[in-house]
Amino acid sequence: MPVRFLKNASELADVSMESPLPVQVANAKPVPADTLLIATTPVTTAANRDLLGYTATEVPTLDNCMQYRKLVWVYFRQGDADTNYRILARATDISGIPLGSGWQELVPPTTLPGGANSWNRIEIPATTDGYYDQYRIEVWRTAGSDYILVSKLIGVR
Amino acid sequence: MSAERITRREMLKRLVVAPVGAAALATLPVREGSAAALQPYYEPYFVAVLWEGRTRCDSLWRSLKGDVVAILPTVQGTTPYDRLYWTGYALGSAPVNVNMRVLARAVDHNGVPLGAGWRPVGQATIQTPPLRWFRVEIPEGHWDEYRIEVRSATPRLVYSRVIASQGYWKE
Repeated sequence: MPVRFLKNASELADVSMESPLPVQVANAKPVPADTLLIATTPVTTAANRDLLGYTATEVPTLDNCMQYRKLVWVYFRQGDADTNYRILARATDISGIPLGSGWQELVPPTTLPGGANSWNRIEIPATTDGYYDQYRIEVWRTAGSDYILVSKLIGVR
Repeated sequence: MSAERITRREMLKRLVVAPVGAAALATLPVREGSAAALQPYYEPYFVAVLWEGRTRCDSLWRSLKGDVVAILPTVQGTTPYDRLYWTGYALGSAPVNVNMRVLARAVDHNGVPLGAGWRPVGQATIQTPPLRWFRVEIPEGHWDEYRIEVRSATPRLVYSRVIASQGYWKE
C-alpha cells in the first residue's frame, strides 16, 4: 500500500523519489527580519538631524545592530523638497560604549530619492555586509519647504 | 509521481480508513536515507505559501484575489521574506498575454501603511503559448504588504500560487 502525505494545502501525493517526504534542513533555522524602528521625522534644514530628531551627533539612531547583516530602510516622503541624507556607523565595546568618537561614514551626503507622496527603499550598506553596532541616519532638506518623512527600518540577519 | 487534489476532510477520512503502519513504511519505494541524500541539492530556505487560488483576468487591473480596490494588499505579513515567487498557469486556448505589476508598501506596528499608495516594484507582460506554466520572481523582499495585479485584453482564468522564502542561519 503506498504511503501518501499532504504535499501542500490540498494535494495528496504518493511518497516517491520525485516526491519525497518533506524534511527540514538540519542545523539551520530561519531568521525572521526584525522591525527595528518606525519613525516620523519632520524634515527641516537643521543640520545633523537624525530620523529620531536628534541633532547631537554622538547619539545613534539605532543601537545593538551587530547581528544584522543589512538594514532595509523603507520610507514614505510626503514632500518633494530637495533633501540629503547621510548614513554613519560604528562599533562599540562589550559595554556598549563606542570604540572611539565620531563615525564611519557609510554614505556621504546624498540626494534622498523620491518625490512627494512616494515610497522608497535604501539598503544599508548598499553592497557589502553591515554588522556594525550603531547606525546614525541623518536627513535634511536643502531647498523647498519642511515635510514629513515616515520611515521603517528592518534588520536582516 | 501520482497526485490528486482532495479536501482536508477527505484526506482525514482516508487516513482513518487506511492508517500507515510500520510494515508499509518498510516497503516504501525510496532509497534508504533519501532525505539526507537529497540535502545537498535542497535549497535551504524556509518557504511559506502566502496565497493560492484562481483569478479571472479581464481588462481591469485586478489583484490576484480578484478585487480592483487599489488599497487592498494581495499578501500581508511578508516582512521576514527575502523574496517572493509567483507560479501560475493560465487556462484558455489563445496564447497567453497577461500584463502584471507588483506593488509593495510598509506598515507600522498597528498594521497601518506608512503612507498612501504603493511602491511599484516591477511590471511585465507574461507571454506564453496556451496552457503553459509561468513563474515570476519578486526579488525585492522585506516589504510588509504586496499587491500583485494582472490584466488581460482576452478574459482568462489564471491559477496561481504565491510563496515566499526566508533567509536562513546555519548553526
